[in-house]
Amino acid sequence: EMEAVEFDDILDDWFIESLKTYKDLHVYQLEHPTQVIEWTSEKTVCVTGYSLSKNEILELRLPLKLFADENKGLCAERDFKVAHGGFTDGPVRRLRHIPGTRCVVTNDGLSSDLQVWDLGGDDSDVIRRTGSIAGRRNVSERGSRIAARLSSPPQVLHGAQSSDVQLTELTSGRTLYKLETDSTDPLSFLQFVSDTVFLAGCCNGSVYVTDTRTSAAPQLSPPPASSGDSVLWWADASVGPHPSSCRVVRLSSSGQAVVSDLRSLGGGAVCQAQLDVQERCCNLDHIRVSWAPTLDDCISVSGFSGVVQIYNTCGWSMELQERQPLFQHRGHVVSSQQTDDSTPVFTTAHIWHPERPRTLLSAASDGSVHVWDWVDPEQSAADGCWFLY
Amino acid sequence: NMPEINVTPLGAGQDVGRSCILVSIGGKNIMLDCGMHMGYNDDRRFPDFSYITQNGRLTDFLDCVIISHFHLDHCGALPYMSEMVGYDGPIYMTHPTKAICPILLEDFRKITVDKKGETNFFTSQMIKDCMKKVVPLNLHQTVQVDDELEIKAYYAGHVLGAAMVHIKVGSESVVYTVSVNKYAKSHISAWIDKCRPDILISESTYATTIRDSKRCRERDFLKKVHETIERGGKVLIPVFALGRAQELCILLETFWERMNLKAPIYFSTGLTEKANHYYKLFITWTNQKIRKTFVQRNMFEFKHIKAFDRSYADNPGPMVVFATPGMLHAGQSLQIFKKWAGNEKNMVIMPGYCVQGTIGHKILNGQRKLEMEGRATLDVKLQVEYMSFSAHADAKGIMQLIRMAEPRNMLLVHGEAVKMEFLKGKIEQEFSIDCYMPANGETATVTTNPSVPVDISLNLLKREMALGGPLPDPKKPRTMHGTLIMKENSLKLVSSEQALKELGLNEHQLRFTCRVQLQDPHSDPDTLHRIYTHLKSVLKGYTIQHLPDGTVMVESIVIKVSSSAEDTNAKVLLLSWSYQGGEYFFTALCIVKRLMYQ
Repeated sequence: EMEAVEFDDILDDWFIESLKTYKDLHVYQLEHPTQVIEWTSEKTVCVTGYSLSKNEILELRLPLKLFADENKGLCAERDFKVAHGGFTDGPVRRLRHIPGTRCVVTNDGLSSDLQVWDLGGDDSDVIRRTGSIAGRRNVSERGSRIAARLSSPPQVLHGAQSSDVQLTELTSGRTLYKLETDSTDPLSFLQFVSDTVFLAGCCNGSVYVTDTRTSAAPQLSPPPASSGDSVLWWADASVGPHPSSCRVVRLSSSGQAVVSDLRSLGGGAVCQAQLDVQERCCNLDHIRVSWAPTLDDCISVSGFSGVVQIYNTCGWSMELQERQPLFQHRGHVVSSQQTDDSTPVFTTAHIWHPERPRTLLSAASDGSVHVWDWVDPEQSAADGCWFLY
Repeated sequence: NMPEINVTPLGAGQDVGRSCILVSIGGKNIMLDCGMHMGYNDDRRFPDFSYITQNGRLTDFLDCVIISHFHLDHCGALPYMSEMVGYDGPIYMTHPTKAICPILLEDFRKITVDKKGETNFFTSQMIKDCMKKVVPLNLHQTVQVDDELEIKAYYAGHVLGAAMVHIKVGSESVVYTVSVNKYAKSHISAWIDKCRPDILISESTYATTIRDSKRCRERDFLKKVHETIERGGKVLIPVFALGRAQELCILLETFWERMNLKAPIYFSTGLTEKANHYYKLFITWTNQKIRKTFVQRNMFEFKHIKAFDRSYADNPGPMVVFATPGMLHAGQSLQIFKKWAGNEKNMVIMPGYCVQGTIGHKILNGQRKLEMEGRATLDVKLQVEYMSFSAHADAKGIMQLIRMAEPRNMLLVHGEAVKMEFLKGKIEQEFSIDCYMPANGETATVTTNPSVPVDISLNLLKREMALGGPLPDPKKPRTMHGTLIMKENSLKLVSSEQALKELGLNEHQLRFTCRVQLQDPHSDPDTLHRIYTHLKSVLKGYTIQHLPDGTVMVESIVIKVSSSAEDTNAKVLLLSWSYQGGEYFFTALCIVKRLMYQ
């Protein structure tokens, strides 16, 4: 086909380098940027727009090529497929899939109310709103965090502040549990670590550990010791086979990462590090920190700039030392479609594939979404050959 | 009865195959494309023409056939339709499409009949006879198919010779496009003449996809080639002269230069000849502007890429070879494949779709043992890679297309309507137009609201402008007076005087009269004077005159007073006005009636 050939940057440095540094790489451009990437099944993710008026909510099927392990060469399918789509009236900043259902719950990041959606089945490709769940308080600056785990009937955990966290039954709207605390710290993290235990992390760095079976007061762990005063904190918990093996990483807006055991959250940390995040004074709403689901000790960080960084916490000590990332995904910066140079592109979300050890999806403010399977530089150096899988 | 356009897709839509759309517009029937479905071996591979007529030839039922481009899923059934079902009318396509179609049809026929041994298929002679009915189209040139039907082709850029087609009957129009490239998109609004077609018809097979970037596809290609070379293997890339051959060569050349690689890259000479031929065809067919966006240099002048000789295939060590034909069904690429297939260090990269029956199709389906001529089996041990570089309109592309062409209605041809409710909703919401998605054999009826163009005489326009006041705008229309003349197929708006002149008629004057009786003992002139004075005081802003001939005039209303014959104390007021003065009459009447009660 006689398509125009662009000579200027046919092969730029990053793409050349990527032949060695990535096993797989896919670069997509959505019509509108997303702050959300959430798995809705083994092969599908949801993304949504966050402009102030109307937006789209999309369920995308990942390219078949990514999953074709044996006959990978015979599969030419590299594109996302829009499996289902719907329209929202406002921005969607948070989205959670309710396991075991075709439901997702969303929040606009402005109020504490949640919207409930049906993603649809085989007979229709339209995502429809089926209802809403009122938050405990109407006024909220940062919106509600949402968490869910497999349960029957389906339930959703949500709250904007520590004082209004509740567990709601999806269909009836009944409140099954309320976190009883007086402090009104805004939340930056909400996650189940087992069927009955959940963590509510506040922006100030403190964490509530709650067991929904007991009526006892939740355990409150104070924020990690840090140098800065007005730092904000985010967190992620690694869900192991047993809640006691669960680890929590807390990340501050100044790039300090603190790892603790769930058991001894209140006591000292296991290790910490000063990350090389190259922070900018941009929208802190996009900071994400996550444990790798299958790689031991690895965490991923994004939102400080246009880069997604992966750190290996193994070898970190109790001293606050500067650490370099194991790997950096610079794809969003390099292939940015943004024409406005005053606001450089920054990552808005990222997520690991639950089973494939080094596969991640990342999104940025210019609407780009990347799917990448990175090569561990330490391992490949040991192997001595770049090209063997 | 509102005028309407009917669109019926006759072809299957699930995957690539059998594009064939019937359009009925202004009493004309047009067939858009006539493709073959590559996945079927029986009659299902042809469009279902029984929709047009149960038996007999199609000539009487179709005014013309238009082919958008040379891909077999758009022209593969043409010889079957014209020679086996029967159609003798004109078949329109661009010059490059006319040049390339018969070659692909013949190749396809050979594979199907010779390789697969099929019997119910069109012959070489049928292809020739079919092409005799072709009327080639130039870009941007209006073609009158008959007195009422006109068509025009626009550059689409999807493949060589691909065109968007604009069909017009009277004031109704339809635009049909398969896919457009970046260049065509940036010029659509200029080319579509801003006439806002009633319907824009587009394929939407890939409308629900979000495409991986071209860079990543290229990256994958380079990675595969590099890996194979690094382990000492050979890479075979079967290509069409019309395909991505040149682009891939440029990609490899730049990469080789960058990485300082030494392994040889070859292309077969047959490839360059054909490619140059098609390139020349392209150059003569497109205009200056389009040509500038493409590669200007000699097709195959490379530093690292050399002409291939068949003996090189036996040379040891790594190498890359581009060879024709693209589906490994014959010729040089097949020869090389046979030599290299047994070594697992080697690789074959298939850059496109392969027709059933070809070796390419078999290995892409995972077959590792092939039966060759003379019962010999070939073990396929080399790595087989399928890479798709084809450019189909994705979700974003369709939205862009609509944004630029500004149709009044959108029609997507796909087949699985249920799977695209979201896209339909998206289009309807963003553009406030209806989006139709008829299934195969289903007719979509689109009512049109044709705009009627009317010429206005300059004098009338000048006169209206001289009246002053604000300029008319769509939100605040202004009434104007004129006469509409319909002559043949055109409409003209002229002033009444001009109309009368043109028609050779005299203008009649209409005057209305009305008698009002009133009690007044005074003399006629006195009564008249009193009426004059009274009207002057109550009707401000009107021209009121007391004329010497014994009448009062309010604008153009004439008032006369005379004594009643029956009653000496009564007066008869005679009011008379011409048609234009009518609006003042009621005012005057009211006043006069009030006078009567004084």
